[in-house]
Amino acid sequence: MESVETTGKSHRIRHSGRKAEKKKLKNASEEASTKQRNPRAFAIQSTNKLNRSFRHAQDLKAKKHHIPVVNRATNEPPPVVVAIVGPPKVGKTTLMQCIIKNYTRQRLSNIQGPVTVVSGKKRRLTIIECNNDLTSMIDLAKVADLILLMIDASFGFEMETFEFLNICQVHGFPKVMGILTHLDNFKQAKAIKKAKKNLKHRFWTELYQGAKLFYLSGMVYGEYQKTEIRNLCRFISVMKFRPLIWRTTHPYILADRMEDITDPELLRTKPDCTRNISMYGFVRGTHLKPNTSVHIPGLGDCKLSDVSLITDPCPLPDRGDKKQRRSLNIQERLMYAPMSGVGGIVYDKDAVYIDVDGGPKNEPGEEENMPTTNPIMSSLAESSKTIDSKLAESGVTLFKGHQVLSTEDAEKFMQVDMPEEETVVIGGRKRRRAVFADEEGNESGSDDDDDDDDDDDDEEESDSGVEDESDVDDAEEVQDDSDTDFITDQPDEPLEPSASGLNWKINLRKKAELAFYERQNSSASLRRLVYGSIDPKSSPAETGSSDEEQQNDLAGGLFKISKQDQEREINHKQNARDCSRDQTAVRDWMKDHVTKASVMSRFVTGHWEEGEDAQALLDQDEELYGDFEDLETGEKGGVQEEEEIRVDNRKETKREREERLKIKRLERKRKLKEAFDRNYDVEKSSGKNSKEEVSLFDDVKRELEEQAKMNRDEFQDMDDEQRIQYEGYRPGLYVRLEIHDVPSTFVTRFNPNYPLISGGLLAVESNMGYLKTRIKRHRWYKRILKSRDPLIISIGWRRYQTLPMYFMEDHNMRQRMLKYTPEHMHCWAHFWGPITPQGTGFVGLQSIAGSTPDFRIAATGTILESDCSTQLVKKLKLVGYPYKIHKNTCYVKDMFNSALEVAKFEGAAIRTVSGIRGQVKKAVTGTNKEGNQGPAGAFRALFEDKVRSSDIIFCRTWYPVPIPKVEMTVDNLLLREKDSWCGMKTVGQLRFEKKLKPPVHEDSLYKPVERRPGHHFRGLVVPASLQKELPFSSKPKMQRKKKESKKDKLMKTAVVREPKDRQVAALMNAIHTIHRDRRLRTIEEKKKKVAEHHKKMRKLEVQEKFRHKEAKKKIYKALSKGDKKSKNKS
Amino acid sequence: MSGVLEYEGCNYLRQRLILSTLSGKSVRIKKIRHKDENPGLHEFEGNLLRLLDTITNGTKMTISVTGTTLFYQPGILHGGKFEHECNNDRSIGYYLEVLLCLAPFCKTSLKATLKGITTDQWDPSVDYYKDIALPLMRQYGVVGDLEIKVKKRGSAPGGGGEVLFQCPVIKKLRTAQITDLGKVKRIRGVAYTTKTSPQFANRLVTSARGVLNNFIPDIYIYTDVSKGPAKSPGFGICLHGETTTGKFLAAESCSVPRGDTDEEPSVPEDVAVNAANSLLEEIYKGGCVDSNSQYLSLLFMALGEQDVQKVMFGPLTSYSIQFLRHIKDFFQVVFKLESKLTDEDVLDDKLEYTRVLLTCVGFGFFNLNKATR
Repeated sequence: MESVETTGKSHRIRHSGRKAEKKKLKNASEEASTKQRNPRAFAIQSTNKLNRSFRHAQDLKAKKHHIPVVNRATNEPPPVVVAIVGPPKVGKTTLMQCIIKNYTRQRLSNIQGPVTVVSGKKRRLTIIECNNDLTSMIDLAKVADLILLMIDASFGFEMETFEFLNICQVHGFPKVMGILTHLDNFKQAKAIKKAKKNLKHRFWTELYQGAKLFYLSGMVYGEYQKTEIRNLCRFISVMKFRPLIWRTTHPYILADRMEDITDPELLRTKPDCTRNISMYGFVRGTHLKPNTSVHIPGLGDCKLSDVSLITDPCPLPDRGDKKQRRSLNIQERLMYAPMSGVGGIVYDKDAVYIDVDGGPKNEPGEEENMPTTNPIMSSLAESSKTIDSKLAESGVTLFKGHQVLSTEDAEKFMQVDMPEEETVVIGGRKRRRAVFADEEGNESGSDDDDDDDDDDDDEEESDSGVEDESDVDDAEEVQDDSDTDFITDQPDEPLEPSASGLNWKINLRKKAELAFYERQNSSASLRRLVYGSIDPKSSPAETGSSDEEQQNDLAGGLFKISKQDQEREINHKQNARDCSRDQTAVRDWMKDHVTKASVMSRFVTGHWEEGEDAQALLDQDEELYGDFEDLETGEKGGVQEEEEIRVDNRKETKREREERLKIKRLERKRKLKEAFDRNYDVEKSSGKNSKEEVSLFDDVKRELEEQAKMNRDEFQDMDDEQRIQYEGYRPGLYVRLEIHDVPSTFVTRFNPNYPLISGGLLAVESNMGYLKTRIKRHRWYKRILKSRDPLIISIGWRRYQTLPMYFMEDHNMRQRMLKYTPEHMHCWAHFWGPITPQGTGFVGLQSIAGSTPDFRIAATGTILESDCSTQLVKKLKLVGYPYKIHKNTCYVKDMFNSALEVAKFEGAAIRTVSGIRGQVKKAVTGTNKEGNQGPAGAFRALFEDKVRSSDIIFCRTWYPVPIPKVEMTVDNLLLREKDSWCGMKTVGQLRFEKKLKPPVHEDSLYKPVERRPGHHFRGLVVPASLQKELPFSSKPKMQRKKKESKKDKLMKTAVVREPKDRQVAALMNAIHTIHRDRRLRTIEEKKKKVAEHHKKMRKLEVQEKFRHKEAKKKIYKALSKGDKKSKNKS
Repeated sequence: MSGVLEYEGCNYLRQRLILSTLSGKSVRIKKIRHKDENPGLHEFEGNLLRLLDTITNGTKMTISVTGTTLFYQPGILHGGKFEHECNNDRSIGYYLEVLLCLAPFCKTSLKATLKGITTDQWDPSVDYYKDIALPLMRQYGVVGDLEIKVKKRGSAPGGGGEVLFQCPVIKKLRTAQITDLGKVKRIRGVAYTTKTSPQFANRLVTSARGVLNNFIPDIYIYTDVSKGPAKSPGFGICLHGETTTGKFLAAESCSVPRGDTDEEPSVPEDVAVNAANSLLEEIYKGGCVDSNSQYLSLLFMALGEQDVQKVMFGPLTSYSIQFLRHIKDFFQVVFKLESKLTDEDVLDDKLEYTRVLLTCVGFGFFNLNKATR
């Protein structure tokens, strides 16, 4: 059968010819979209519908937009901080080990503190584990970029997880990825599925729908499964992060190393002295400026005494290599974890330490008083400098407290200029000219030709030349500085009246001006003119005043120039007239043509440059689109011709011409491409292909992109040293921070498992003020919060305890104090604390010590405003009583205590309980007409109506409530037990501990209201004449009286009985009484009987139960016996 | 909390106070005219401190008994509506300069009425700020009800002028790159007189045009002859040129105050020609920002967002050099300075200017005083 298979030519479809065209036509209608085929179906049916659908589309589009921000990421970003968070025994350490092993192929058994690994060609990770302490959770939520939130699936969610999520939410919400572990504890697949689903949905409601949740299905040899970890790592390495506001505006460092750099001698003599420490880490967030203050959470505010750049201990793979592979090779998979003793070489500012043991470091307790590395080893390992260079650097002080003398200085002293020999042959005779070192510059200048051969020498020389120049400039600087303000000084001096006197002064002024502007000619001298020699170490305030002193110190402070003259001049300069107006000399611009022409080009009427001139631009355009062909006339564009003419004129060689044309062609192409890009990119970015849709959004975005490019490129070519001066330490650099005067307990009780963060503060943020915030008690917190109760607040970098006062804003913006926070509503709060930017979120906690099963986050909120004063008030009602009433005037007593107080309240609005409004007029002083003086503090008041003597009069006032100025930093890093920080306690807590009851004020208790007797008010009588005019609704209605009862009637008529009747009535009364009595007695008896019966029944019941039990016992006994027997038998 | 910065001498007092208020750093100024016959702070400086006290909340100022030492601990900028009687030793410009720098960063928008001398020979006049400083501020994102209104004019030494300054509150400054001057396309100005013949204004205009018409025809100079009783006689002219890229350059000149025995009384023609020549000088310098308001541009750049910002100045004035140093002290912002030589021919008298290109990365300042809802 196989032979039957035909192997003929395959069918070839025709691509041209009649048949093909026919087919194309036929297919065209099929290929066309439905819209094309059936246009009527897509025609506009209803404008309203179209309108709505268009709006909807636009809404969706606008919803996608975020406010564009400038991308300030640097080329080499800092490592991404990955925090592993979860309750204890959930598998955090195991996961961290697995992740590290996945990246570095190394197993770390004892991890302490952060571990930095290279995860890819362009990304590094700093992985850190979060312990189960609330302070650690708070700190890490502030610095972590990605959070791996671990959940024990066999147990479910724990409070810590929710607490942590709430903390994250307030501090900007970094990316969160959930990881379910302990899935192998389930025995049935169905149970796993159910647990997964439940947990996932709960997780989604907490975060957002579709939040990523990983499952780690089980352990293999004490580790998670390799493929699962690899998947997780892949997710981590491609994750993108949104910039968070707080972090993009503040620099911060997550320290991965901390050293005690206190003088060892001082340590030996005084172990408790304040320490100097250095911290190491990558700069993150934004540029870190030297001389800023930082906040170290758990320690407090510190001033950075020194910041220095250090070689990156864990650099990204070198990008210079061109044939880079997709994956990293084993040398590039670096890991750096100095706290766990990994990393081998440790770089310091001025030394390199090599870890000899390679093992983990000493126990934290032991290293208290020991320098961290063996000094001998480290000095041996220091290979960067030779002994000669060290000698050159070393200095000697001749006298205590004087400037250090370097070897160069010493040489200068010793210099007895020794002439060098140079032989010159003149006229056949050898002469030896003595050449001094000073003349060398000239010399080298004279025989330039010789030097040209030797490139290396040349370079060296040029270098030294630059240095020399700078030295000279430095020397000039004194003069510079004094000259700087010469011009402004001038006007202060009285000008001499005589013309001859003026003459030399004008010259002088001109000369000074000339010098002043000349100094601005070169960039270098300009910089020196403004900033002096920029030395990053010198503190800012000193530079102004101490410059001169430094200059005058010659030879290590041995000799000094008398400074009197200079001092006077400085004094004169310092106290000159403060004036911003520039007093440049003005020349006569109409003097001659040359002068006039020089300024002419700055006017539109003047000369335009090549790039700007309208004619030139026109020409350029023609060039760009020049080769058009005018279809009507058949003429071709004129550029070509022109060119030819030019060529004729110049008579170039062929090669030259070709080259020129090539360049020109390339240029044209570039321009065309630019033009195309401009048009096309705009269309692309707006999403639709019409020009009208270029929106403001796109414009802003483009602008920001340009700005971002400028940010990247501006300082690209500078070396780091210079760049730092302009920018500060940019994110991604590895730096060493030096901090002085830290409490010794910080070092001795240092625990690497607690994150050490140094968060930079902006200028105003270390000043204190009142913060106005919007706050809400957390709905899961069990209690409401009380004003003036201490609350631990985590805000910005800080954690501090303060006393908030809660309040509500009335409609007229009055801030009324609240005693307690409302249960389910927002309210406002004022508290004293460091000034923080508006919009910053915060978390409030009542205690962080120990652990409670309850939810610990008490409140969340945001900062609204900071100020130096507040307007918090509470209501105070002053109550008084009228003691004399004349028509609308009324004398009131008991409201105030003295006439002075009344005077303060003159004109204040008062009111009676019945609602009559009035005004305080004047205090009653002296005797009035009747000769009696009012009580102290009595006053005359005027009301809109007559006041009753029984009325109470009150004055509503607002009493300012002070906000306690208490702020205590939670310095838990100074404690041995870091989670035991307990600051101020609430009053309630104290009472509970001391078993006290809250004091009761007699006045505050509610008592039955006692009215003053003897007052009843007459009913309202509306006169008949008025009644007539009133509308029906307002008229008093004629109500029918209630039907009288028999009793009423009886009451009305007094009945006097006949004697017989009286007897009958008495008898009836007696019978009634007897009857009533008997009835009552029978009821009593019945009750008794029933009780007795119940008692009896209960007794019987018990007996019955007992009997039943006994019977049961017997039966079971018999049964069990039977069983045994049967068993024995069998 | 943050360390106190210390300075000596009364010069540049305003710069120090402005930067101190904005940065929240306290400042101690010592040796204020300590060797002078009239030592210590003068009346006009005290007046300035009082002005700062009105626009701030929680500011602490301590002046030593002799007045030679001032300690200034800034509070929070409050702003608001107020009236201030300026001292007649200095013109309103002296005080306005401080307000211009601080007003955008207040809690509530500022509406200040300043009374005193509107023009004198030492400080830039009110018209100058109106023409130059306000457009510059708009470029840095201070937009809204930004206005300076001259309600009454008052010349030195009597004063009696009244100026309304109104400024909105902003959250953040805008990043601006001001490097292209363009070409001067029109010249505007105002000539004013107080308590003199109204003819003086016309004479000022005519002579100024006499010079400037040689360069550009588009000139219009307004005349402002103050009505009502003024306290002292005086006149002056303030001219400004606008370029094709919307930059403004200005110059001004005014008469010698009455009672000044050292100088001869001025003639309107001389004053106008001097102003016109100074305007040409200013244009020739080629900075994109007028040399008298360099400090304003520097401040807004230094406080701007953390982006690279550039500005092209003419030669730096000594006032702005000192301001650069102060900015470094208070905000640690260092400017990159590059001198750009002008291509124009060097003149015979060798007074040649170099343009300076300043680049900096902003501090990332934002208005901490403003309230949010």
